[in-house]
Amino acid sequence: MKKRLVSILILAMAGTMIFSGCGGGGGEDDGKTSDGKAKIRFATWDEAEDVDTQQAMVDRFNEEHDDIEVTLEAYGGEFDTKIAAGMGSKDAPDVMYMWNYPAYANGLEELDSYIDKEGADYKENFYETLWNYNSLDGKTYGIPVGFTTHALFYNREIFKEAGIAEPTNDWTWDDLIKAAKTITEKCEGKKGFSFQMKPDPYDFEMYLWSNGTAYCDDEGNLDGNLNSKEAKEVFQMFQDMEEEGYAVATEKSGGDEFRAGSTGMYIYGSWAIDSLNEAEMNWGVVKIPSFAGKGPSASILSSSGLSISKDSKNKEAAWEFVKYWTSEELNTERIGSEQPVLYSVVEAEKMMEKPEYAPFYEMLEQSGDYTPASFKVERWSELAESLSLTFEEVFNPSSMADVSDSLDTAADQ
Amino acid sequence: MKQKKLMKTATPYLFILPWIIGFLVFTIGPLIFSLIMSFFDWPLTADPTFRGFGNYIEMFTKDKQFFKSLTISLKYAAIFVPLNMIIALFLAMLITQPVKGVKIFRTIYYIPTVISGVAVSILWGWILNGDYGVLNYLLSLIGIEGPKWLVDPAWAILAVIIASAFGVGSMMLIFYTDIKNIPIDVYEAASIDGASPARQFFSITLPIITPTILFNLITSIISSFQQVTLVMLLTGGGPLKSTYFYGLYTYNNAFKHHKLGYASANAWVMFIIILFLTALVFKSSSAWVFYETEAGGAGKKKKGGKKS
Amino acid sequence: MKMSKTSKVIIYILLGIMAVYFLSPFIYMLFTAFKTEAEAIAYPPKLFPAKWLWKNFIDAWNAQPFGRYLWNSILVTVGTTVGQVLSCSLVAYGFARFNFKGKNILFMILLSTMMIPWDVTMIPQYMEFKMFGWINTLKPLIIPAWFGSAYYIFLMRQFLMGVPRDYEEAARIDGANAFQIYWKIFMPILKPSLILVGVLNMISVWNDYLGPLIFLQDRDKYTLALGLAGFKGVHETQIIPMLCITIIMIIPPIIVFIIAQKYIVEGTSGSIK
Repeated sequence: MKKRLVSILILAMAGTMIFSGCGGGGGEDDGKTSDGKAKIRFATWDEAEDVDTQQAMVDRFNEEHDDIEVTLEAYGGEFDTKIAAGMGSKDAPDVMYMWNYPAYANGLEELDSYIDKEGADYKENFYETLWNYNSLDGKTYGIPVGFTTHALFYNREIFKEAGIAEPTNDWTWDDLIKAAKTITEKCEGKKGFSFQMKPDPYDFEMYLWSNGTAYCDDEGNLDGNLNSKEAKEVFQMFQDMEEEGYAVATEKSGGDEFRAGSTGMYIYGSWAIDSLNEAEMNWGVVKIPSFAGKGPSASILSSSGLSISKDSKNKEAAWEFVKYWTSEELNTERIGSEQPVLYSVVEAEKMMEKPEYAPFYEMLEQSGDYTPASFKVERWSELAESLSLTFEEVFNPSSMADVSDSLDTAADQ
Repeated sequence: MKQKKLMKTATPYLFILPWIIGFLVFTIGPLIFSLIMSFFDWPLTADPTFRGFGNYIEMFTKDKQFFKSLTISLKYAAIFVPLNMIIALFLAMLITQPVKGVKIFRTIYYIPTVISGVAVSILWGWILNGDYGVLNYLLSLIGIEGPKWLVDPAWAILAVIIASAFGVGSMMLIFYTDIKNIPIDVYEAASIDGASPARQFFSITLPIITPTILFNLITSIISSFQQVTLVMLLTGGGPLKSTYFYGLYTYNNAFKHHKLGYASANAWVMFIIILFLTALVFKSSSAWVFYETEAGGAGKKKKGGKKS
Repeated sequence: MKMSKTSKVIIYILLGIMAVYFLSPFIYMLFTAFKTEAEAIAYPPKLFPAKWLWKNFIDAWNAQPFGRYLWNSILVTVGTTVGQVLSCSLVAYGFARFNFKGKNILFMILLSTMMIPWDVTMIPQYMEFKMFGWINTLKPLIIPAWFGSAYYIFLMRQFLMGVPRDYEEAARIDGANAFQIYWKIFMPILKPSLILVGVLNMISVWNDYLGPLIFLQDRDKYTLALGLAGFKGVHETQIIPMLCITIIMIIPPIIVFIIAQKYIVEGTSGSIK
């Protein structure tokens, strides 16, 4: 009896071993596949159908190279958890998408020497601003793949209904406020404008830039910057819009409300384009309004780059793949899901003549002189968490904290 | 003879051997590792550096969020644990009633437990949206202006409790299985004696299921401290950090701020707290949990004579 | 047991009220899955879709290799459930029906293992599985279950503590050894709770996405839950496909549950009597 039980257990166990094994082995990891090719793990944060497109591009690379084999790993919204766990256990993917360089640079390979080998023309073909966002302390850690700036999306139907002129590229915030007022008054149950109740501090700094200030100076001092007169003006303006009732502070990004036709305008990245088209909306997009009497508005950049892990065993092969992934050919193919980052491709594809894309490039061109606080402050993620709370206190209707006091307190840390 | 005696002493250990092996192979290493790491500064992308009790000192003296999150989680546990158990027990009693169609209700109550946590959290986020959510829309139809569930800190914790009570099905099923294990003749004897249903519940059902009550109590204390997915996706710890649970605090320290050493220290402090609470519950359990294997259990006499 | 009409009515009313709470979010989700994206977020919300878009389900299923994921999910779920039920009942039996040296300490250690959150043990665990060569296989998801998990051992122990002593005493007089008593006498009595453990484990493994996320790499090894989480992007969530897959994913566990609940009842009346 006992023996039988034991043998059943062993059998069942062996069964699962075999089933779950799928080839098994691999305890020794020398970065080679069984047939001697250099093995490259490539991690993306894209989801669903986009991954299929990427898989096809990866397959093509594998066909063209008989000494390298790239495998695609797709982690979607859980990308950060996976990469963090991978770096913590010294087993990060060889090549990965990257945007948050301050947080991960330590685990990434410096790419300047690789870039230099490609000659000067190589580097110059990329939009210059993007290099700033793909490096830290003067060292480059990623090759730009895509980017988005923020721009003002508006609902054409709502503007028609309110009987007012659509936004233009030379709008100031005063124009936006006036339009938002009219929409709220004339369109039953609709609000003119929406912004996030709990904005990501990384994004929100662009409004401070536009008004001639920033969270901190180059040394990372908040006092005198975050609580400067200009900064307070910005927050006051948003809070007033909300309090006076022609803007709504949304719980999430505001995209749902905008697509549902509940709000007339919102500011967001080009990520929204796909879902707006899917929802069959009649929408337009222009540059972010500027502050009256100040220079052109600025936008934060959300850039995506391709990085190589410091611990990769096949860095040359990884670089080969990075070059392929950031080539003109693939920049062109990705149009629609990612905005090209090469001058030559933008020109050839006439991106600047496409009304749904042009504002993002124009914002890119006028935002080159700014560096986000996350690149200047150490331990940005903790500062961001506390800033986020301060901003929420200012915009949450159940607190509506005084702007000046809140920012003074926040700057004093 | 000696061998037989050895066999006898060894038998219980043989039964628990699988767990002991598993513990030694899979569990103890990572546990000790995380304990050691709690004395290190480990920024994830770089090598750890030793900092003695630094993490613990920082937590207790400098980090205001530590106490805030701890309070929030204690508060949540204090409401959630008893509430969830009462609902689960109530449902379990309901679905054991011998009425027609009860099977269907059993399945209905169980459905939410089966739905993936990610989808549930996102769904509740929609339903509870203050301006455009379905719940407030329905309330507005009957003339009530619903609260801003996920915006007003006073309501947010309630929103989390409502959403988490949605998954009460597992606990219900545990109670249900246990209640179903009670032999029917125990009740039959009681109803002949003329005991009312309420009396039957308190004097028969409740004492017999105390072992599973203990189980549910302890495991739900643990899970309420480790609650992460729901708050992360539903409230993100907000509004105004009112639902910044201890579990989320630990998770964010590890994966958002990349302070793995510090997060390990967080986790071990939580461990001590849960261990203390569990020990307390266990200590008290000898007064209110009745096991058949121990002499003098409530159901003992009734069942004892039955087996022959 | 006989029941009066009034108490029946009260029970139905209570059953109904609770059903509304548990069912309405689900119904809302079900109907939303058939809508277009625009309809889903429209305000004021409508319950019924203008057109029932069955296509949504097909699109969602084809958006990722879900057929492959389904197979992996079945492997992991069946593999862990069998292991969990066998090992947990064995270990729980040891803890519940014997007295031995160090029992209380060992049991406390067992409970303690539930109290450390996974966040901080995950990385060392990853390194360990990497050493075994298990990364990017389903092994880390299945094999540990064969050594019991504290939660189910604890649950089983509680059930076992509720069985009167006389059961094994009678068997021992008949000359059965400890394993025979466990296998021949206790396994049948425990059928309902074995099924309970099986059902609970199935649900949690079926829906777990963190384990697969950390230990798997290639897409052809992913499980359904991980694929589902894949609809949640960094910036935008594809809500309709996500709901469709969620609904598809509910079906197998519900079927298992419907079958299982029959046995939870039958098991009892068959053995105790």
